[in-house]
Amino acid sequence: MSVPDAKEKWTGQISTVTIGATSAEGGTRGSTVTIGGQTGIPFLSFDGGVPNPPAIALEVFDVTPTTWAPPLEAIYGDVWSDPAAWAKRVTELGADLVNLRLIGTHPDEGDRSPDEAAETVKAVLSATDLPLIIWGSGVPAKDQLVMPKVAEAASGENCLLGAAIEDEYRTITAAAQAAGHKLVTLAPCDINKQKQVNILVTDMGYPLTDIVMYPTTTALGYGMEYIYSILERGRLAGLSGDKLMAQPVILDPGFEAWRAKEAKAGDEAADLWGPAAERGPAWETVTATNLLQGGADLLVMRHPKAVEAVRKAISQLVGA
Amino acid sequence: MQIFSERINGMYRDVRSAIKERNKEVVQAHVKEQVAGGADVIDVNIGPVKGDPVGNFVWLAQTVQEATDKTISVDSAKPKLLLEVVPKVREALPDTKLVINSSTAAADNMEKLIPLAFEQNCGIIGLCMDQEGVPGSVEKRVECGATFMMMAMEAGIAVENIYLDPIVLPVNVGAQQLPNVLEAIRQLSVVNDPPPGFIIGLSNVSTKCLKNNLLNRTYLVMCLAAGLTAAIMDAADAELVEAAVTTELLMNKHLYSDDFVKAWRIQKGI
Repeated sequence: MSVPDAKEKWTGQISTVTIGATSAEGGTRGSTVTIGGQTGIPFLSFDGGVPNPPAIALEVFDVTPTTWAPPLEAIYGDVWSDPAAWAKRVTELGADLVNLRLIGTHPDEGDRSPDEAAETVKAVLSATDLPLIIWGSGVPAKDQLVMPKVAEAASGENCLLGAAIEDEYRTITAAAQAAGHKLVTLAPCDINKQKQVNILVTDMGYPLTDIVMYPTTTALGYGMEYIYSILERGRLAGLSGDKLMAQPVILDPGFEAWRAKEAKAGDEAADLWGPAAERGPAWETVTATNLLQGGADLLVMRHPKAVEAVRKAISQLVGA
Repeated sequence: MQIFSERINGMYRDVRSAIKERNKEVVQAHVKEQVAGGADVIDVNIGPVKGDPVGNFVWLAQTVQEATDKTISVDSAKPKLLLEVVPKVREALPDTKLVINSSTAAADNMEKLIPLAFEQNCGIIGLCMDQEGVPGSVEKRVECGATFMMMAMEAGIAVENIYLDPIVLPVNVGAQQLPNVLEAIRQLSVVNDPPPGFIIGLSNVSTKCLKNNLLNRTYLVMCLAAGLTAAIMDAADAELVEAAVTTELLMNKHLYSDDFVKAWRIQKGI
């Protein structure tokens, strides 16, 4: 008797999104990054293909971080007062993309003007030839003012802009559309809202195939199973033919992992937990590799040691 | 669910005169409205038009196909006519998916129409009734459905191209048969693995009743909850279609979003 073929047959495919534009495409980037395109569950090669392995962006702030742990300061401390220099550093460290966060535009963190934000973006664009992911401060009212300017300043560079949310999606969607950028749709830990934001954005005429979803992230030890199940359900819906959930996913293990006390605590905890210089990158590595299994396509990370370890995991998982 | 449009039927006066007068516009306007409402399949039935039934059928199917690339279901209660018409429609529309609507589970019917479906590469709807007429019980429906299913599978028709119709009667004629249909769908889904499609002629439930739309809508929801996968119905009845979408949502076939009807439309590209 022959063994029955128990392989899943998926009807859907995750859409393919390319970020960045080279001179041939009207931009000034030295390379582009393509994510998505899967036809099966993450890394199950017999189930479906992984045409584009997950990509890694390294984080750059427009202001000096105040809460980053010493192992990160050791890497970036000499450049982090200057976003252009910081962007150069992450380029040298082998990032696929630069994740620029305009924290300084936050009303409580300096309240920089939209024009100043646009200048920062231009400076970063000149300092690196990697594709850019650009986020506002996360304060919707301010982002409404900042992101259109930023989108315009980076026009033609095919950046990924964050983020459209259910209550404030029109301005950033219009800005992304007008300046030819890709768009992050954000719904914190809520798969139904995620679908709704995608509907709202699509309803404005923004193409579904230019969207990257951000269901938010968590760190190892802080509810991983919850975000994992959100990721998994979303990916299964997309693969089952739900076009509104068939977008690639961006996640932020760098921010989340380094927020955990296990990553942040210094060597005073070394007796129990091991040396800080290894513990933090390890926490970030395990967080990121977990998320890969759930269906992350684009990871925003911080520590180069963690990046190295995650890249190794990815190449083992895709059999490269 | 798969929505089979009921509207291109000579029982409707405007379609009947359009067939007689070869008026494509009337037919195609209905087709477009049905597709915009969510129809996946256009059921075509020439109804009681006199003269040249084969020519009328081919014209009607071609006229539909000019307006949409959806599947066409060739609908007649006369097996002899289907035997003549289906090869002609297939010849005229070689690339269109076709469904034969329908064959009973009576041996002489199945012996002709099931091979026809196989030869002409069509899906087929099997009525859960035989030479004795419409069954009065669940058991007879299940027996007829199982017999049809077995014959169709043996003839090499893929399960996804087989539909069983457990036969809906009007509520003012055969009220007991309406719960019987639900139970027949449940039982036939269990005995066949994987199950075939289940389809009903929905509007039958409200023939000669006053509140047709309410009856149709309510019964469709009940049948979908029992396992129905398709219905011949009016795709232009937005409340009916929305009730079906909502039922599928509540059966956990779609992922919820606040605009879940719009989500369904985006999915369908309508």
